[in-house]
Amino acid sequence: MVEKKLREKAKELLSKKEVDLIIGFGEGTQPLRATPVFIRNPEEADRLVWNSFCENNLATYLHKFSRFKVGIVVKGCDARSVTALALEKRFKPEQVVLIGVPCQRMIDRKKVKKAVKGEIHKVREEGEKIIVAGEDGDVVLKREDFLYPLCKACTHRNPVQETLRVGDPVGEAPLTEPNPEAKAFEKKPPEERWAFFEKETGRCIRCYACREACPMCYCTECFVDSSNPRWIEKSLSSADLEFYHIVRAYHQTGRCTNCGACERACPMDIRLTYLTQKLNQEVEELFQFETGVDPNALPPLSTFKTDDPQEFVK
Amino acid sequence: MEPTWEPKILAFLCNWCSYAGADLAGTSRIQYSPNIRVIRVPCSGRINPLFILKALQNGIDGVLVSGCHPGDCHYLTGNYIGRRKSATLKRFLEYLGLEEGRVQFSWVSAAEGGKFSQVVDEVTRDIRKLGPPKHFAKQKRGQGFQDSRVVGFKGPS
Amino acid sequence: MTLDPLKLNKKDFQPFLEELAKDHELFAPVRLVEGVSVYRKIDPADEIDLDASNPQKPVKEVFFPQSEAMLRFEKVGNRHKVTSTDEVKKPRVVLGARACDIQAISLLDDVFLGKEYTDVYFLKKRQSTLLVGFACNHPLSTCFCASTGGGPFAREGSDLFFIDLGESYLVEALTEKGRALTQSKLFVKASEKEIALASDLEKKAAERSDASLPVEGIEKKLDQLMESRFWDRLHEKCIGCGVCTFLCPTCHCFDIVDEAVNEQGQRVRNWDTCLSSLYSLETSGHNPRPTGRERTRQRVMHKFNYFPKNFKKIACVGCGRCIVYCPVNFDIRQVIQDIKNY
Repeated sequence: MVEKKLREKAKELLSKKEVDLIIGFGEGTQPLRATPVFIRNPEEADRLVWNSFCENNLATYLHKFSRFKVGIVVKGCDARSVTALALEKRFKPEQVVLIGVPCQRMIDRKKVKKAVKGEIHKVREEGEKIIVAGEDGDVVLKREDFLYPLCKACTHRNPVQETLRVGDPVGEAPLTEPNPEAKAFEKKPPEERWAFFEKETGRCIRCYACREACPMCYCTECFVDSSNPRWIEKSLSSADLEFYHIVRAYHQTGRCTNCGACERACPMDIRLTYLTQKLNQEVEELFQFETGVDPNALPPLSTFKTDDPQEFVK
Repeated sequence: MEPTWEPKILAFLCNWCSYAGADLAGTSRIQYSPNIRVIRVPCSGRINPLFILKALQNGIDGVLVSGCHPGDCHYLTGNYIGRRKSATLKRFLEYLGLEEGRVQFSWVSAAEGGKFSQVVDEVTRDIRKLGPPKHFAKQKRGQGFQDSRVVGFKGPS
Repeated sequence: MTLDPLKLNKKDFQPFLEELAKDHELFAPVRLVEGVSVYRKIDPADEIDLDASNPQKPVKEVFFPQSEAMLRFEKVGNRHKVTSTDEVKKPRVVLGARACDIQAISLLDDVFLGKEYTDVYFLKKRQSTLLVGFACNHPLSTCFCASTGGGPFAREGSDLFFIDLGESYLVEALTEKGRALTQSKLFVKASEKEIALASDLEKKAAERSDASLPVEGIEKKLDQLMESRFWDRLHEKCIGCGVCTFLCPTCHCFDIVDEAVNEQGQRVRNWDTCLSSLYSLETSGHNPRPTGRERTRQRVMHKFNYFPKNFKKIACVGCGRCIVYCPVNFDIRQVIQDIKNY
């Protein structure tokens, strides 16, 4: 079992002092949740868990521990984020030990909550089933119907880069086409697209959970905090909410790994990944680039080819 | 849209090629649409996508970004980087529903006074057809400050 | 002053709102999308979301909006005209407020309606607003209002208190202002059976709210922990967003900025979060709370030590929103327990 092996590996790494600490997942305090844990002693290794609620991208924590040698539990998407961060020289590669776990695809906890009436007491996974023990009795759900859309479309469930692996490799065949929400969105007429974008961003409360959950957002001064030039105000005006989301997504061009952490973090349930999916699709199409797959490939907006597409230029 | 509405278009022109090309159009006394407002930048690669977004938010009707032809950049590679940024930004904005043609790009060299005037005429024509922007503008141009639409609101206060 | 309880049939609820709407602005939870509600100004015919558990954004928003223009300025001829925006034109009624959120408003009173300084924007709204509390028949497992001096049926602070009996509401008028709203024929005297049902619901709800948290004595314990190593690991998983702060019914920090173009503009107050690294960053570049350790410590100390020192109450009402919506499942209940055990 992955969890058991993970704990053994963690004990080993910590006892041999090959790492100063390990960032992994622990049991959440509510059903459907796991929570990031930071363990420093072999005795703490039993706090580590592995389940389909390990949805956070732990790479976002690396900047907090830049002076230490860190072991980090990574799914496929998280591992690519670590590679992207290494490319941006956020840490020295020797500092990070990637504990790769081939991903079984994560469960969309908000979707499960909506599918069950009343409060959920306990959730258990049994193969392809999710058994939800709730106020109104038990409900059995088909796991495949409750996976995050980006998890269903994933083609890098086995970490592309890892120092060591825990668990058996999984098949890479995706369950849907890549960037599915962007593809669906593109088909709508322009007025409908803007209306959707306006409606979604209209709920935004500028809590920046999306930004903080994202491993690639690490600027000490974010563009929203710039007062000269003052790009946007801090108040809740529609135009500024739209500006914020356009730019935050755009700043991920060539850096986003489709991990979905942004959308999962949002307390107002705002759809966000359809924005970055489009940009990921663009860099794939225009520049044949996918984030974090080739550790030597330069970020697409930092480089060029003399024959880059330019049909749009007069 | 008032019957006499004329588009106001922001033109970012790179100093070494496009700006010089525009200057040549002027000294050659070529007549072209008077709708652009020029901002001279050192290189088309200097354009921060936020400039374009901010201009749209401030109510500009259209944006033109013009630089040196690929291979001729005064800074050697600036326009190549600019090209990548332009491509991704344009596609992203149109994906969100921005009308095609509101933000445009061109290569105009210092010798191409004629081409510059043609580009400006074309862009002005395109934007006149599109009309004033419906989305995204926070303030109506020339009408001073308007209170931000506080989102959603029928809301508290 | 609880007078004889009344009953309002659910089918009479909208007519009740229509009556209220003649002289009042109405605020109630509105569903934006499934699972997301906020308090908004409503028309009586609007669909309101009273069944869901607490809306994401708390009732404090009605008194202390997330973005509020405080004054507007513009150049008129040679002079500047400044207009304050504190006036409240019509009295208001807030419906569907849970006991925890209402308890939080009284905490905000301590902050905004102080002895020395009074916030005119908060004051005017507070003076012109009636609170219609709604009992929680179904506290969530993350609710711990019973530990923080409240409870799912706590009536303190409400002008009217509604208890959902299924087909009707039991209505208690707790103040004169509240009673004045129940004069119409829509309200009838509640029967013994209905009163008994309400009492039963109250008992059941009380069992569900977590009263076990060791909040007693936490202020004193924290006095000893200011420089302790206790905080060294606590902050690690906090990513420093503002979800807990913005969704918290008692949090009240804000930032004031001027938004201006040419010579017109407005001075705006926006919610802010002490968990942001920029919150305490000074112009010199010095930051007295440089890392998450200091900021997380500040949040806990403010709620459970500083605020009690100033106002003799802890600044937490046990609504549980921070637990439910935190992206990394940071759990304040665990923190309270850890403080006790340290």
